[in-house]
Amino acid sequence: MIRFEDVTKTYKGDVTALRDISLDIDKGEFVFLVGSSGSGKTTFLRLLLREEMPDTGKIWVAGREIGELSPWQVPYLRRNLGCVFQDFRLLPNKTVFENVAFALEVIGRNKSIVKTQVGIVLDLVGLGEKADRLPDELSGGEQQRVAIGRAFVNRPLVLMADEPTGNLDPATSQGIMKLLDRINRTGTTVVMATHDVSMVNLMRRRVVELDHGRIVRDQARGVYGYASELSNTMSRGVPAVPVLDEPESDESFEVESVASRFTAERPRRGDR
Amino acid sequence: MAVSLEYVARETATNLWRNRVMAVAAVLTVAVSLSLVGTALLLRQAVKSQFVQWSNNVSLEVFVDANASTAQLASVRSLIERTPQITKFTYLDHQQSYNWAKKLLAKAPTAIAAITPAITPTVFRLQLQDPSDALALSKTFKVVPGVYAVDYAAQSIRTMQHLEGAVQVILVVIALVLLLSSLVLILNAIRMAIYARRREVGVMKLVGATNWFIRIPFMLEGLIQGLLGAVVAVLVVLLANFGVSYLHSHYNVQLFAQAVLNARELVFTDLIVVLLGAVIGIFGSFVAIRRFLDV
Repeated sequence: MIRFEDVTKTYKGDVTALRDISLDIDKGEFVFLVGSSGSGKTTFLRLLLREEMPDTGKIWVAGREIGELSPWQVPYLRRNLGCVFQDFRLLPNKTVFENVAFALEVIGRNKSIVKTQVGIVLDLVGLGEKADRLPDELSGGEQQRVAIGRAFVNRPLVLMADEPTGNLDPATSQGIMKLLDRINRTGTTVVMATHDVSMVNLMRRRVVELDHGRIVRDQARGVYGYASELSNTMSRGVPAVPVLDEPESDESFEVESVASRFTAERPRRGDR
Repeated sequence: MAVSLEYVARETATNLWRNRVMAVAAVLTVAVSLSLVGTALLLRQAVKSQFVQWSNNVSLEVFVDANASTAQLASVRSLIERTPQITKFTYLDHQQSYNWAKKLLAKAPTAIAAITPAITPTVFRLQLQDPSDALALSKTFKVVPGVYAVDYAAQSIRTMQHLEGAVQVILVVIALVLLLSSLVLILNAIRMAIYARRREVGVMKLVGATNWFIRIPFMLEGLIQGLLGAVVAVLVVLLANFGVSYLHSHYNVQLFAQAVLNARELVFTDLIVVLLGAVIGIFGSFVAIRRFLDV
């Protein structure tokens, strides 16, 4: 799904953000990008969105090398990459419904699709009841759910989250993680850059650790921490971290969402 | 991708409304400058038509010596016939020329008494295709044997030509400056609109709206501002023209005696004004988008 091949990115003033990164992320994976500030996590996400171009190396998303896309094709790349940020980036003068609908309207989806898809997604993120509220009237956790809904409403192949729990308390963060996990189980690849130790430990998913622009760890069911310390801890055999309760079965949503893709996006002839 | 018309219309309307103070300022500036441009164009046409009409009345008068021989008279006549710049001429013989002189000197009976038809010079009255040839022709005819004098409104013609040139240059310069300033105002209005909507634009880019989808509402906003300004300007120009013709017909104000324009010239001027409004609007917003909308 995502492939980085020998990617190096240097900013002005010889700041090397990423150094010779090679990484494969498969479809449906849930990957944490961890590392201290300035380790290159955000650059990684920006390269993926083609907000920036690597100095050397190649990046593939869904089988296409994104460096070869012409500028007019970039929006179509981004339609496959949902984005969530620490600061939510909601439009304050639009309601919850309108915020999510906006993402579909501006890529030219027609009204009936917008209406059904937004409804489905708001139910998924648990805000069906608050569709008419303005972002200011919601808690931080709820606002982030709206943002996730907006990122997911177009059913992207990849959902990218840059510190999505950075502004939230632990209990709320846990709810957000559950939501991301749920989205992941619809087959969406999730890439999440984070500092949040407890969230990484809770989920026990693949962890890629960056340090000064290099990958220093890539662990299948990892925990947060620094490579150096971890080897120490693990040699002592005490990976004493809590594991998220086995999530309740979510088959119902998955079936609904797959079915809705066909019914909602291809309305029967004569439907109004 | 089909850009939904409804979406674009709604976004443009919201933009204009949300940014209404700036939009009104831009529209008014465009209106003021285009009114001046339109008035300048009309004035230019007025000056031109006045000049044409006035110079049509200019004729060169070649006075032939009363004692000139028949051969000399014939050679003057043939020279006139051979000169292409002369569109037509009339010849006043002794008696006609005497009658004309009597009319001119009506208030000086003693002068009339002093002349007789026999001693009155005969006159060729020439109509020129281009009044600016008058000076050169008068020089030519002055030296022809038998010619007593050549008369024409030399100074007036020259002054008129200079005046016309100067008026045109001044009007064009004013028009250019005004057009530029309204362009800058629209550019600024669109820049403000872009700034006011930077969050939306950010989200649009994030979720993969195409560049043109993001740009079109801003372009339309500029176009509408330009056109609204142009419509106001057209009204002003029509009103100005109406005012001049009213003054002319009711008070017989002679200042713009010939400045009342026909419908064709008016429509032409209005078309130019509307076109300029559209061009300014689109160009202004286009520059703003290129400079300030990072897509």
